[in-house]
Amino acid sequence: MNGVGRILREYGFTIAGIAIGVAGIVALGAMGERIVRFIEGGDRFVLGQISVAGRGMGMGAGFTAGGMLPASALRAIAAVPGVAGVQAQVMLPLNPSTSQFMTLTQELVLGLDLSVPTPNRHYPTLPVHEGRVLRRGDRRVAVVGASFAASHGLRVGSALVLEDEPYEVVGVLERTLTAPDRFVIVPIEDARRQWIAKDRLLRTVIASGAAAVNAADLNTGAAVGWGDGEDPDVVARRIAERVKDVNVQIPSDLSRLLRSSTAFFSALLGGLGVLAFVIGGLSLANTVAAAVFERIRDFGVKRALGATDWQLGREVLGEALAVTLSGGAVGVALAVMLGTGVDRWAARSGQQLFLFSGRLLGGSLVFSLLLGAAAATYATLRVVRLSPAEAIRRGA
Amino acid sequence: MKSYRAPGGAPIRVLDGVDLAVPRGRLALVLGASGSGKSTLLNVVGLLEDAEGGDVIVGGERVSALGRSAQGRARGRYIGFVFQSFLLLPSLTALDNVLLAARYARRARLDARRRARELLAEFGVLERQAHYPPQLSGGEQQRVAFCRAVLNDPPLLLADEPTGNLDDANGRVILEALRARARAGAAVVVVSHRADAVGAADAVYHMREGRLEPGPSTSGGGPS
Repeated sequence: MNGVGRILREYGFTIAGIAIGVAGIVALGAMGERIVRFIEGGDRFVLGQISVAGRGMGMGAGFTAGGMLPASALRAIAAVPGVAGVQAQVMLPLNPSTSQFMTLTQELVLGLDLSVPTPNRHYPTLPVHEGRVLRRGDRRVAVVGASFAASHGLRVGSALVLEDEPYEVVGVLERTLTAPDRFVIVPIEDARRQWIAKDRLLRTVIASGAAAVNAADLNTGAAVGWGDGEDPDVVARRIAERVKDVNVQIPSDLSRLLRSSTAFFSALLGGLGVLAFVIGGLSLANTVAAAVFERIRDFGVKRALGATDWQLGREVLGEALAVTLSGGAVGVALAVMLGTGVDRWAARSGQQLFLFSGRLLGGSLVFSLLLGAAAATYATLRVVRLSPAEAIRRGA
Repeated sequence: MKSYRAPGGAPIRVLDGVDLAVPRGRLALVLGASGSGKSTLLNVVGLLEDAEGGDVIVGGERVSALGRSAQGRARGRYIGFVFQSFLLLPSLTALDNVLLAARYARRARLDARRRARELLAEFGVLERQAHYPPQLSGGEQQRVAFCRAVLNDPPLLLADEPTGNLDDANGRVILEALRARARAGAAVVVVSHRADAVGAADAVYHMREGRLEPGPSTSGGGPS
């Protein structure tokens, strides 16, 4: 007896029904995973460093939003007990006309001081998919995020014009599904030139000589590291107390802020996820139970031929599990194929909508199996309670 | 005794004081109009449904007193069924339908397969063994169903309108096969609303309003 062929013949439509339900669950779950990765990645980043910006307002974007952070402030920060590294940074909106409110999709220029190591404990370097990272002494070169590269059609060796100056792309980052996917990372010296080019007021002030500003003062912020065994929140508060005119982000506060700012998305996705599980789950359970009830006459015949409740129950449950597993696997494959297709299309504008993590795929299969088993058990208990004659009559 | 209760109505007694003994090697025919209770009688005798009173005894064992699982095993071991609508499983081939009877009787697979092929050959449907029920004619389906009913050589064979959906030629084949089972030592009970099986019967009974009455051409056995 060809078991697989028989199950396909008997349960083809059931498997298709389950596959559609599971595909829905997996697709919505993959969109949730995509957002979760974004939030977790941001959280991991802000908890890996103390972010400091100059007090006031300026062009600084992202976590360096604020006023200018001069070289004297950087030296003062470095002298604070517990501080283990300070890296000057310039972070600017690539296109200042784009509202900074849209921070989830904003393209940013990040200038890094390459003469010191990056102090972020979780991201000492960003993983490069193609090409190389920036090196000390680099000029007019850029490493770009995966989404930025995709939306601008850039590869290693491509030319990129920033503020009318040509840059060569030397690296493309791996897709992180977080903010760096839209970064253009350049040496800080180049970023300072771009800042001056973008900011007419700054240009006027420097040209007038009204303020003593030199190149090393042109920082929008700094990434600050802490020594081993130090509490980053305590070190951050110490910086705030001892260094004047700086905005210090307390890592845990920033993490909370990030989470609260994305709480709406989290709640929305949580709701969608619950909805997907309820609708997909009910559909799956109903399909499995209906498939069992549809074969009630066959079960009556089997009992007439001598099947005991236990034999029949085991048989039905085994078949239901095989059917659910098949439907689940087909559903997962369907969702992955559809998601990959949509993402391929979305990649042209630098987007990725789905993240099919192992925990999502495994969890969906286990969820399907458990639900299928529960539905099959319920239906089987209802079926075996009937006398064989009644089962045959009802199935006729 | 067996009764059904219609929704909101009084119980309807479908079997009332029925007492039927069929010795081994005999074929008993129960005739009756539709609704007279003859199929219910067969279901009760075959342990397909419970009666409210009375006993079913097969080979000296009071099988009606057994628990559900033991009754299931007793059905597989002692009783073979031939149904009017064949009741073959549409997803199984003819051979697999026959072998289904061996699965629940825990019979050795190779031995069962050999015997199943012999039976299919005996009834002229061996070349159809890999076909599915919808690919078979009614006569072929009933012959396959008969092979399934006798695969385990049950001492009691029950047939509910076995020729009801067949043409005369196929009906004769099935009746002769039932007769042959009786000659081979089985107790055979056939219920029908048609009198064309009378010639094959050792004993004929009539069901009227749940009661069993001896018919005119009884040659052995009988209600007691």
